[in-house]
Formats: sequence, structure tokens, C-alpha cells
Amino acid sequence: MNDRGIAIIGCHETRIELKSGRHVYDLAGEAMAGAIAHAGIDKSEIDGLAVSSCFSDAGNPFYSIVLASYLGLELDWCQITDLGGASACANVARAAAAIRAGLCDTVLVLAADAQSSENKGAIGAFRSEFQYPMGIMGPPGYFGLLSRRYDHQYGLDLKALGKLAVTQRNHALMNHNACDKLRRPLTVEEYLASPMISDPIRMLDCVMVCDGASAFVVTTTARARELGARRMVHPVGYGERVNHLEAEQCPDITQVGHSAAGARAFKAAGLTPAQIQSFHPYDDFLIAIVLQLEHLGFCGIGHGCRFVMEHDLSWRGDLPLNTGGGQISAGQAGLAGGAHNLAEALRQLFGEAGERQVKRRDNALVTGIGWIPYGRNWGSSTVLILEAAQ
Amino acid sequence: MSTDLDPLAGQRPAPRPHDFSKPFWDGAREGKLLLQYDPVAGRHQFYPRPVSVFSGRRELEWRAACGKGTVYTYTVSHKAPPPFKNVSPFVIATVELPEGVRIMTNLINCPPDRVRIGMAVRLAWVKAGDMNFPVFEPDP
Repeated sequence: MNDRGIAIIGCHETRIELKSGRHVYDLAGEAMAGAIAHAGIDKSEIDGLAVSSCFSDAGNPFYSIVLASYLGLELDWCQITDLGGASACANVARAAAAIRAGLCDTVLVLAADAQSSENKGAIGAFRSEFQYPMGIMGPPGYFGLLSRRYDHQYGLDLKALGKLAVTQRNHALMNHNACDKLRRPLTVEEYLASPMISDPIRMLDCVMVCDGASAFVVTTTARARELGARRMVHPVGYGERVNHLEAEQCPDITQVGHSAAGARAFKAAGLTPAQIQSFHPYDDFLIAIVLQLEHLGFCGIGHGCRFVMEHDLSWRGDLPLNTGGGQISAGQAGLAGGAHNLAEALRQLFGEAGERQVKRRDNALVTGIGWIPYGRNWGSSTVLILEAAQ
Repeated sequence: MSTDLDPLAGQRPAPRPHDFSKPFWDGAREGKLLLQYDPVAGRHQFYPRPVSVFSGRRELEWRAACGKGTVYTYTVSHKAPPPFKNVSPFVIATVELPEGVRIMTNLINCPPDRVRIGMAVRLAWVKAGDMNFPVFEPDP
């Protein structure tokens, strides 16, 4: 991947809104229109689609084809990815692979969901058999179990989590796409005082489900030049781990799949964590950021909270983190939420992040997380390393 | 706080079993906590699956767990999704069994301030709909 033969040449993120009342196809249409305008290409250039699954049209087993039809797309390659919030990064890699395999030339990577307005998801599986009867409060419950174990093994520094919450909130204040309800200042004290949902998970540890969409145009670097692309970012490393330690019946649940996915991505990119210039980790819960810092190798296992306290993670700091506010402070657009972190990394690398523009923008690291399995941490981990074109 | 539907008082939605997990729920009816066992791998697995997670084989046995366990982790839930409402804080734990598997379930007869990681617990049963649902309680 690090031959820089693939380029992302445009992206667009809609505003993230709570209960917008909009249809997922409309959000997707806005994202596509914005992305092709940003890339400066004609829609007819798009011959591939890689779309994330969504909650709001989850009852439709032909979602990707129907969506493509609403968008007026005639395609040579069409893919749906159901890795939840890991799907956006995963689809950049799938698009690159499909292009390199000669299946298509220019792919629209799309993630849209209106989960807060309409949710047709029916997960069932072991949840309706073993989990719903115990009254667990969804993801905050599972992350409560994970956080408690982390605290037992390593100690959970609530001040570090509070610092993450405030850092991301300050970034959201500068992001016009962030959900209006979340765009008010926050203090560490307010974080600590926020209501307990599933102890030790507080309300301000969690994302708020919203509606929104993002789209990205992926093609070959050669084609991008022919098209006169005004901006280019190369995916140079990617790793994915689904069902980390699946056969282990009693794994250490603080061990997450980003260790494996990260190792593969860093190796492909020829980079180390110390060389990463901005970090855009998937953030459904604050502790997920701590675990990713550790398992991607920014610090040792169990040292994530200390790392947070010792570094300036603001947009002008030594490791700018989720400079768009992350999902926790910008809002989680359902299963399209992971695309928010990717869109912000691209805005930074394109030099289009406005007043929160980071100084060093040669590269950025984006991650994804999706699905919560039985009695563990999360089911899918993706790691994508991006480099700005020279 | 009033309690309209208490997850600890047997007022729970019934589990919806799969065909391949039916033996588990039949066992529950008799007060047995049945685990799948792969005789080739010599290991138990939980939750029930159509194959062995160790070998991919379908030759799985059902064996009763001894009913003892320890708390691997827990959370005190201050909220619960529908159909529960207005719950008092209650305990959800991941319990590790000596058979080498873990089960997520409630701890009953255990005030939230009493639960600890590593605490010894034992199997108990509550009703979920018309079915028996496995929970654990402190093992004195």
C-alpha cells in the first residue's frame, strides 16, 4: 500500500444532527454531492461503491444496490461492509484492493446513517438469548464491564478520561459539523459529576447517537493526476482484526485487536507511533482511546492514562487527537460514526481544518471499532495510516 | 426509587433460543447449567455455537457445569433498557467458571457495594418469561 499508488482526492461530511428526521438516502446524497464537488470530478467517473451498513435501512437486504440507484450510480463494483464503526477505514482498504485488482477505477466510499431518527436494526444473535434478559444497558453496560476490569488491572485515572473529554469538546467547539447540542464548553469537574450509567461508565464517557454521512473519493494516483486533482492523500498502511482472540474462552478483555491491526499498518507504512503527527481514534467511549493508545504502541500496556496526562492532545499539541471533537463531542452518526474520524484526518492532511489546523500534517492515523461481542471488548479493529501527497 | 419491572425479581424478557442452543435451555429447566464441550480439544465453550470454536468440528457434547465461579469483572447498572424501567442499581457480572468459560449475567442477593473482582459466587436461577435464566449469587 505504501507505493502511494492510491489516492483519496476528495471528501465531504454532512453536519451531524440529533433526530434530524432526514432519510439515510438524503444524507448519503448530500455526502456524495459534496465529495465529488470537493474532488472536482464528474459523477460519471465513479465506477465503484463501498458503503457501510446502517441502522436506519437495516431491514433492506439490498441496501447498497438500492442506495446506488438513488444516487444514480452505474457501477462495476459494489460492496457493503458491516464492520460497524470500523467500516469506513475498512472500505478505503477494500476500495484500494478492488482498484488494484482491476475491478474498477474510482470508488465512492460512503457511510451514512440516521439512527437517531430511524432504527430498523434487529441484532438478535446471542444478545436476545443471553444478554437482554439480564437488563444490560447496551454498550455502556459492556464498557462498564471492560472499564472495571481495566481499573482492577492497571488503575483507571478519571482525571485522564476527563482530560480526553475536555480536549475533544474544545475541538468540537471549533467544528461547525459537530452536533449543536454538544457544542458547549465542558470541564473535568462536569465530566466527573455526569450521571452514572453503568458504573464506572458515566454519561460523558459515551457517544450520543445522531444522524449524518460522509463520503470519500478513492482512485489511483495516476488517474488523480489525469483528472487534475487539486488534493491528494495516500493510504499507506492498513490493518484489520476481526474477533480478536475469538477461540480464547477466558481472554484478558483489556487486550484489543488494534495490537494486531496496528502492527500490520505500521509495518506497511514503514512508520512508528512516534512519527504519527495526528491521531484520530474511534471513540465510542473514552476508555477506548486509552486502550488504543496502548495497543497501537504509543505507550506501554496499562500506561494509557499516564500518556494522556503527559501529552498535549489539543490541535496545537504534540499529538493532536480527534481534532474534530471525535464522536463523543461531535456526535455519532450511527454506524457511519467512524467516518467522522476519517473525515477529520483528511481535512487536516488537506490543510482544510480551519482554525483547528494542525501544524504538522504529513501523516495521520485513523482507527475504527465495530460491534460488541459476548463478554469481551469489541469485535472489529481497523487501523489506517494516511500520508499527504508531497 | 420505584421499581416497575425489576430485572432481579424474575420479571425479564424470555430468552429467544436457537435450534442449536435448545439443549442449554432444556437443561436450565432442570436446574443444570450445560456447556458445550469439544472432546477433541478437551475444552468447554460458551455461549452455545453450531461448531467448536477450537476445531470447527460439530461433534460437541453438553456437560453440566459444577455451578461455582468467581467474578472476573462487574458493572453496577443504574439504567436498563425497555422493557425494564425505573430500576434500582443492580449488578451485572462476568463470571469465570472452573470449566474454563465465562458467563455474563446478574449477581443476585448481592448489594452493589459488596461485589468485588475475584469474589466467589455460585449458580442460582431466576425466571425470564416462562424459562429458567442462570444468575449467580455470593458463595458464603
